[in-house]
Formats: sequence, structure tokens, C-alpha cells
Amino acid sequence: MIEVAHLSKRFGGVTALDAVDFRAPGGAITGLIGPNGAGKTTALRILYTVLRPDAGTARVDGHDVVTARRAAQARVGVLPDNRGLYPRLTARENVRYYGRLHGLRGRLLEERIDTLFDALALGEAADRPTHGFSRGQQLKVALARALVHDPDNLVLDEPTNGLDIASSRAMRDLMRARRDAGRCVLYCSHIMSEVAGLCDSLVVLGQGRVVARGTVADLREHTGCHDMEDVFLALTGGEGGDSPAAAEAAHA
Amino acid sequence: MLDRILTVFRKEVLDNFRDRRSLMTALIYPLLGPVLLGILVSAVSQAVSPEARRTMTVPVTNKADAPGLVAHLENNGYTVAAGPDRPRQAVRRGDHKVVVVVPEGLDDRLAAGGAGTVDVVVNSGSLRAALVMSRVLADLQGYGRELSERRLAARGVDRATLQPLNVKSVNVARSRNLTDFFLFMIPPFVIFTVFLGGVYLAIDCTAGERERGSLEPLFTNPVDRQEFLLGKFLAAWLYTGVSVVVQAVAFRLSFELMAPAHLGLTDKLSAGVLVALVALSVPLMALATSVQIIIASLTRSIKEAQTYLGVLPLVPSMPALALVFVPVQPKIWMMLFPAFSQTVLLSRVVRGEGIDPLHVVVSAAATFAVTILLLFFARRLFEREGMVFSG
Repeated sequence: MIEVAHLSKRFGGVTALDAVDFRAPGGAITGLIGPNGAGKTTALRILYTVLRPDAGTARVDGHDVVTARRAAQARVGVLPDNRGLYPRLTARENVRYYGRLHGLRGRLLEERIDTLFDALALGEAADRPTHGFSRGQQLKVALARALVHDPDNLVLDEPTNGLDIASSRAMRDLMRARRDAGRCVLYCSHIMSEVAGLCDSLVVLGQGRVVARGTVADLREHTGCHDMEDVFLALTGGEGGDSPAAAEAAHA
Repeated sequence: MLDRILTVFRKEVLDNFRDRRSLMTALIYPLLGPVLLGILVSAVSQAVSPEARRTMTVPVTNKADAPGLVAHLENNGYTVAAGPDRPRQAVRRGDHKVVVVVPEGLDDRLAAGGAGTVDVVVNSGSLRAALVMSRVLADLQGYGRELSERRLAARGVDRATLQPLNVKSVNVARSRNLTDFFLFMIPPFVIFTVFLGGVYLAIDCTAGERERGSLEPLFTNPVDRQEFLLGKFLAAWLYTGVSVVVQAVAFRLSFELMAPAHLGLTDKLSAGVLVALVALSVPLMALATSVQIIIASLTRSIKEAQTYLGVLPLVPSMPALALVFVPVQPKIWMMLFPAFSQTVLLSRVVRGEGIDPLHVVVSAAATFAVTILLLFFARRLFEREGMVFSG
């Protein structure tokens, strides 16, 4: 379970997150949506510990991401928008590295990797250096890396971004499988049709604040729109605010 | 903790082992110094060796007018040839390294008790010509001395009357050959390699990872930032060490292949000296690696890091270069300064002079102490958000 309370984050003079609250329980897929610059990625980055909040707390299974960083990290699998594979290492070596960093060793680790690669149908690519992998192949490796320690919580930033139809479908199947196994899945996406079909509940961000939350049905009822894109535009006005990426750059 | 550090260490070693640029920096660059010195040793030793003198041909103008001088040169192992018509042009053009210009009727004048001037024309722009000139000059001056002694003897004057003071140098240095200078050139190269050998890995595992976007997912793993830092630091330290070992061995091989055996350079660069060179540099390698990681973490891109770190090796190598020409007597306070202390110690080692164990201990302790401070600073950098997301 992931819980976020009063989370705030500024980059220089730009407010990326302003007292954001939400929770993503186990056994559910929670979608974090919002226009560009609404603070989705910033929230996820705080959750997976590469940014620190200015105020508020974020917890993974009760472990604070700042004060109990390693305990929180051990319980979450992360698929960042930036896959960040090592091009000179093979797919297997990439996943093995992360498995070892999670304390896995030997037969257990190798079996995990084999199982994941089989499930993701990576095939012969498993033992090739990842340099030159297609986006789909890169995603599979990054996903295997995120799942190698079989985490109870999965955080995915735009997981289907740039994927072909088959890979997108495989990705969605995997998310549903995790949910059905009682795990927590938190993800953000721009693809409203996907969000509508996948999410058990939604958190809508706009300009660093939570502007709405609930099930897809709740939000449809609330806005009086049926099409998810219309729902989205009705809730957010389509404007996000300053891009946190640009703000981060200005800050650094 | 050690387990996680080793995991990071192993990954960086393997990853960079597959990177041509990392390997080139660690294994090929260190060879440049030994190759350069080898070529220089070979060139210089040819110019100064007795074999070179034996086969050396000296053109002499008006050869027929100076049979005495020609005989003296031939006795000293030169082959005397007829000189060119225009000696200056011939030397300037490079037809000859040196030409001895004898004035007309020299021997007749000398026989009559007169004097004459012999010019040695040389283009001292080349090292080899300068060495040839000094040898020819010395031999001709010897001929002049011989003539004056003969005249004095003919008049019954003892040599001591005109030359009461005999000045002779007694050299007690362990190395007496000009070519030993090339041994003294080794420390600056070693210091340079200490600051260069692991640099590619240090950049790749910091600024490189950030630029490729792999630092963001990496830092989501349950590993402390200091553990990442230490794993990467150890890997860069290892690459630096390998690089210095490669260079030390290459110096020895280069001298074995390119320096004539009679110079004894190979014996002076014994296995013991090689081990001492590497061992004394180990603390400095740690310091160099931590400096590289800090600079690469602070810069915004690989290119920027390369720019700064490409210049870095020159800074500590400069004092080492100065010590080639002006060696200093080691003092305990010198051992407190990293890089300088190693420079002083290395220059003693290559001169075959002993080093004080206390100096070694103080030098290593001071260098490691600074390294630990630098690593604390680097840990703070690794904790910064800017480490992952740089503008």
C-alpha cells in the first residue's frame, strides 16, 4: 500500500506539488492522471526516493520514504519513464544487477530471471547486450528489473508510452495480474482509454494539487461526461502549470 | 553493506571492461610514456655509444694539410673523409652532422712553431649533432693539448709549471650515465597515469550514468548512496591501479627492448623498483579517483567532465617534472602533501636512493586522510537531487 499525505515540493520558485494526499491500496490499480506539468512524475519520484519532499510524507507499506528509505525501497518495484538500461550489459545482467542490489543471490535469483523473461517472452534477446533494443524490448527488461524482487508495490511512469499494440496489451495484462494477486499498482498515463479500462480508482492532479479522485464511474457521474477524455478536460481544464521538468532544470 | 558495495563494484568493473574507451584509457594511454622514453633512450644511446663513435665519419676540409690531426682522429676511432667545399651550407642542409674545417697549411705552420684555428661546424639544433660536436671538440682539444705538451717537453719544461692545478671530477652518484636521466623521467609519467588511468570509469559511472538516465532507476534500489559511491570508487581505483601496473611493466619492457644493455637501465629498473613505484602510488590513486568522482558528479555532462578531468593530470605532474631536473632532499613536512610526497618518494626510488619508512607511512596516511575527507564530500554530492537530475 502506498500513502501520500500533504506532500509538497518546490523547484526554485515553482510549486510542483502542493499538499497532495492520496493512497493506492493493495489489490487495486490506481491511476495518477493530469496534464503535463501537473506533478505526476514529481510525486512518483518522491515515492521511489530520488526526490525528497519539502513537506508531507510518503509511505510504502508504512515505511517512510525519507526516514526509512531502504525499507521503502525494498518494497517497491519501479519503472521510470527513463528506462535507463546499461547498454553494454545483457538483458540478463541488467536484471541480475538489480536482483543482487535487492539481496537476491544464486539459484533463486537466476530462476526468478528465467521466469520473468519467459513470462515477458524476451526470447533470445535475454543474453544480448541491450544496446540497440527496441522500445518494447527495453520495456520488458526494465519491467523484469522492477519485478525481480517480487515487490508488493509497483510504480509505473507511462509504462505503455511508445509501445506497439501487442506490447501495450501485455503490459496491461501484467498490471491486472499483479492486482489480482493482491498487489498495489500505481501508475500514471496520458492514454485515457487505457486508464478507463484499467484503473480501479483515479487521482487527478492539476497544477500540483489533487483536483478530483474516485472510480472511473464516480468521475463520469461527477462531470456528467462519458468519454474519459472529456472527463479529464472537464476536471483539469487541460492546463497543468509550469512543467516540473523545466522547473527542476532551472533549480539545478 | 560490504555485499552491496561489492555488487556495485563488480558491475562497474564488468561494464567498463566492455567499453573500448575505458580500456583504452586504462591500458593503452599508459603505454605512451614508456614508448616515448624507449625511443629517446635508443636515439640518444646511439649518438653517445662507443660503437657509434667507431663508425662515425668526420669530414675534414684541407685534409692533406693536417696529417697529424687526421691521424689523431683516426687513432680515436673516427673515419676521416674529405670535407665539402662549402662546409656551412653542407651542415645547414643536413648533408653532414659536423664538418671540421682545417685552415690551409696547418701542419706546416704548427711545425714552424706557429698556431692555427680549427673550426668545428655544427647545427646544434639536433640533439645528436650536439652530442657528436661535444665529442669531436673534446678529441680535437685533446690533440691541441698533446701538441703543447710535446713542445714543452722539447724545451725541457715540465707540464706542472704551466698547469700546476689538475682538476678532476669524482662522481659519486649511483647513476653515472647521461642516459640514466631517462629513469628520472619515469615519476612524472607515473603521476600522470595515476590521475588518468581510471578517469573514464569515474566519469562513466557518475556523469555517464546520469546522462544515460540509468542513475534514476539505480537509486530506487535499497542501497545507501554511500554504498553506491564506494562500489564505484573501488572500481575506478582498481582501473587506476591496473593502469599504473601496466605502465610500470611497459617501462621495463621498453628499456629492455630499446635501450642497449651496457647502459644498465634495465638492471636499475629492477622488479623491486617497479613494485615500489606502484606501491607508493596506491594511496595517491585513491585520492585521484575520489577527485575524479567529485568533479564528474558536479559537472552537467560527460563532455564537461572530460574537459576538466583531461587537464587534471597535468597539475600534479608539473612538480614531478621539475624534480627530474632539480631533485629535493625529502623532508617530513613534504610527506603531508598528497601528490608532492609521492613525487619526492618516486624520484628517490628511480635514483636508487633509499627512502625513510617513516616518510612512506606519513605520506600514505596523509593521502588517505585527504581521500576520506573527499569521499565524505562525494557522499553529500551523491545524496543531492542534482546528482540524478542535472540541468
